[in-house]
Amino acid sequence: MKMEQFNDRNVADNGYFLVDIEDYPTDSWGKFKRVVKRSFKGELFVGLWVVMREMLRFDIHTVKYPQEKMPIGPRYRAVHEMKRLWESDTERCIGCGLCEKICISDCIRMDTKIDENSRKEVSEYTINLGRCIFCGYCAEVCPELAITHGGEYENASEQREHFVDYDYMLTPIDTMKAKAQKEFEGFGAITPHEDERVKKTPLSY
Amino acid sequence: MSKMINFKIDGKDVTAAKGETILQAARKNDIYIPTMCYISKTSPCASCRICSIEVTGVDGFILSCNTPPTEGIEVKTNSKALEAERTNIMKLYDVNHPLECGVCDKSGECDLQNMTLEFNVGHQEFSAKDQVRKVEDWGLINYDPALCIMCEKCVHVCNEVIGDDAIEVKFGGYSSVIIPKGSDTLDCTFCGECIAVCPVGALVSSDFKYSANAWELSRIPSTCAHCSAGCALEYETRHVGINGDDSIYRVKNNFEYNSLCGAGRFGFDFDNKAQKDKVRFDKAVVAIKSANAIRFSSIITNEEAHILQLLKEKLGIKLFNEDARLYGEFMKAYSSISGKLHHSASMNAIKQADAIIVIGTRIATDNPMVRYAITTAAQHNGAKIVYAHPLEDALMKNTVTQFMKYEVGTEEGVMALLANELLKNSDVDEDTRAFLDDLDLGYLEAESNVGDDELQLMSKSFSRAKKRILVVGSDVFAHKRAKNIAKLVALIEKYTDFSLVVVPTEVNTAGVSLTCKLDIDENIGNVVAYNAQGDFIMSSSKDADLAMPALNQVEGTVVNVDNQVLPLNVALAFDGYTLNDIANALGLEKENTIDYTKELDTSKGFKSLAFDDLENFLSSYGEDKRGYILDEVSCEMGSKVEPIDDLPEFNGTVIYNCNPVLQFNEFTNKTQQLEKDITLRGSAQFGAAARISDGDEVEISLKNRVIKRKFKQDNELKGTIALNPIFDIGKDASSYRFEKSKIVRVI
Repeated sequence: MKMEQFNDRNVADNGYFLVDIEDYPTDSWGKFKRVVKRSFKGELFVGLWVVMREMLRFDIHTVKYPQEKMPIGPRYRAVHEMKRLWESDTERCIGCGLCEKICISDCIRMDTKIDENSRKEVSEYTINLGRCIFCGYCAEVCPELAITHGGEYENASEQREHFVDYDYMLTPIDTMKAKAQKEFEGFGAITPHEDERVKKTPLSY
Repeated sequence: MSKMINFKIDGKDVTAAKGETILQAARKNDIYIPTMCYISKTSPCASCRICSIEVTGVDGFILSCNTPPTEGIEVKTNSKALEAERTNIMKLYDVNHPLECGVCDKSGECDLQNMTLEFNVGHQEFSAKDQVRKVEDWGLINYDPALCIMCEKCVHVCNEVIGDDAIEVKFGGYSSVIIPKGSDTLDCTFCGECIAVCPVGALVSSDFKYSANAWELSRIPSTCAHCSAGCALEYETRHVGINGDDSIYRVKNNFEYNSLCGAGRFGFDFDNKAQKDKVRFDKAVVAIKSANAIRFSSIITNEEAHILQLLKEKLGIKLFNEDARLYGEFMKAYSSISGKLHHSASMNAIKQADAIIVIGTRIATDNPMVRYAITTAAQHNGAKIVYAHPLEDALMKNTVTQFMKYEVGTEEGVMALLANELLKNSDVDEDTRAFLDDLDLGYLEAESNVGDDELQLMSKSFSRAKKRILVVGSDVFAHKRAKNIAKLVALIEKYTDFSLVVVPTEVNTAGVSLTCKLDIDENIGNVVAYNAQGDFIMSSSKDADLAMPALNQVEGTVVNVDNQVLPLNVALAFDGYTLNDIANALGLEKENTIDYTKELDTSKGFKSLAFDDLENFLSSYGEDKRGYILDEVSCEMGSKVEPIDDLPEFNGTVIYNCNPVLQFNEFTNKTQQLEKDITLRGSAQFGAAARISDGDEVEISLKNRVIKRKFKQDNELKGTIALNPIFDIGKDASSYRFEKSKIVRVI
């Protein structure tokens, strides 16, 4: 991209033109004339007519929130979600603690322990949405694509502190069984054609 | 000093002492040679081959870790060929290494990870068929063979430094693993040093496993509060759960140069929890004001001991601490002959010694660090170790070269015999010569059961030794003839090349004996106790009239066996009152306890340094920068050794008050991980003599108390002396550690 057009300060040559704006009246007589002119011109009805015309045509562009909601882009960063593995429906989170470490607003806290299968298990996990700035670092750093951002942006609450815990964020097992879990496509997600780029360990045996 | 060897590393002129390796010389000169299996405190494992170097004019690579330099050689630490060699080694290390770094307990503190990144191993050209490797649960220690890289550090440390010799390598090429030596499961003293040295997450603490990551933990450098070794350690703390208070998660040590026993490593949760209770506090102030005496234990900092001393002076009360008093008396008697306030040697000196006599202590349980130092001496210098004690110790079996068994209570006689033998050819003064000539050797040998042949054997084995050390332990402090024993010890130190280590009983026995003027404990009423027994109890263990902070919750200093003043730091907060609050209420005015650090008695060797000026770390060359060593103080000498008294006889069933491994006091008893074996352990012979058998509930009647215990027959023990643990009942420091007892079976 060339920077030329941005660096050119000579506005007149670039199709810019001055809008013809009448000077404001300075004397009282001029001001009086402006009031009379504006009062009797009926500009208000012009606006009302446009509204009524569009209403009669049923061509309405307003979203009737909260009955209606706009679709959210896949990369939108709202309240976090914890994903499950497609193969086994088990939780993806391995409890490595990187999200807790990287969080710049210090809103993630977790506790881990060894479970009965000698694996690391997340025993407690909370995110304080009151502190979270939805920067997306946690989703980016997660090596397992376990913590991601979802589309749930309605997190108004009565107090500044607002915690969500692991179970709240985890994909419900029914959703998983119905294969309805949505993958996050935002920062930190797998890029397309990743398989082709992975080098495999030699297996000569 | 022997000649220095001059040579070049990467064009830089360096010198090495005789016996030093190229790697050691390089490290001293800040020249980096990568290593994987090298650990400074053991002999080189030489298993990784990463420390290879090139020497101009010599074909092939040379291992810098176990090769001493010769004069004038030119060493190259880096070249294309070396780089390729090292990268290939790293690739081989990475073959099938599980990619579970995300959950591994090393959490980034991993040598393998560091080196893999250093050599930029981004892909793998080698492969091997992976095999099933089961995670082994060895009690406090967990072993994951899949993560193990077979560097053998653990084996070397266990064998050369600790002396347990409990693990070994099961060789099998790619399927090599570490296995417990000669048994199915790990049977050792659980020092956990193998966990510390493991460069990967193969050996980990079972308790810590998967509970926290390294980066979440705050490190608090401090000093271990369990025994008189005063080991350097770092408490690592973090909040519990997602919303809890801080708690200690694990303990680490500088394993490159120092060691730590299991009590320090696993026994960290002895902190006390309390809130400020004004009513109890006021009661404590009143109690001290009206008290006749304060009785306290030596598990206390110098500063608090100093506060007690100031209270004594201010209020005119007495101070009771039999443990420190007897140690102090012993040292005083020693000083009256030697002319020095402090004993001369340290644990470091023990490590370098080549002849060691240990007497009057079951050292492996009394002070594990001294035992490790002795092991190191035996393994690295081939030191001859004479272990004189009425009881043989299976833990010392591998290190001790001569076991000198003497009869219980005859320490004075044995010391006289040793003095006689060691001073034979020394140039001693007239009094001493007269004393030695007057000894009734026949009587002493007969009563103490130490034969002339044994002494001859000892002399013979020591004949070529250059650095000799005498280690004296706590059996003798409460001995009736302790003072004379101390004088004999002083004679040996004075007239021979033996240097001396006296092992105090508790963490700060030495410090208390220097800071406080102690009175003889009388059985009087109205005694305020601080971590002891009394009418009003202030304690950091449970059931106290006023809760006090434990030693991992206070700032202060302690004096260890090396006469080194070591700082303790606050690992966990304590919300209640401290002794300084009480002292302030009684009219002493200092904001913090550590304001007294500067005021410790300089006539006893303390320096007037502020607490905050004390360092607490080991430099990367291994220099000890912890606190300071007490100044040597000259004392008046001129006292004489008294003639040897009649040696006492202990017949029948004798009890030796001695804790099992990793247990020391009520604080180690409070910890969750340490094993608490409170059985009376004795041999089959003891069982027969006391008419009890394995598993019996027995009642032991001692001179001034009765204890109930379960009897456990221990086949490693011999003779009619049984081991009685005291960590759960508190120790009676005023009496000799061997006691005559009456044992009755309870049905």
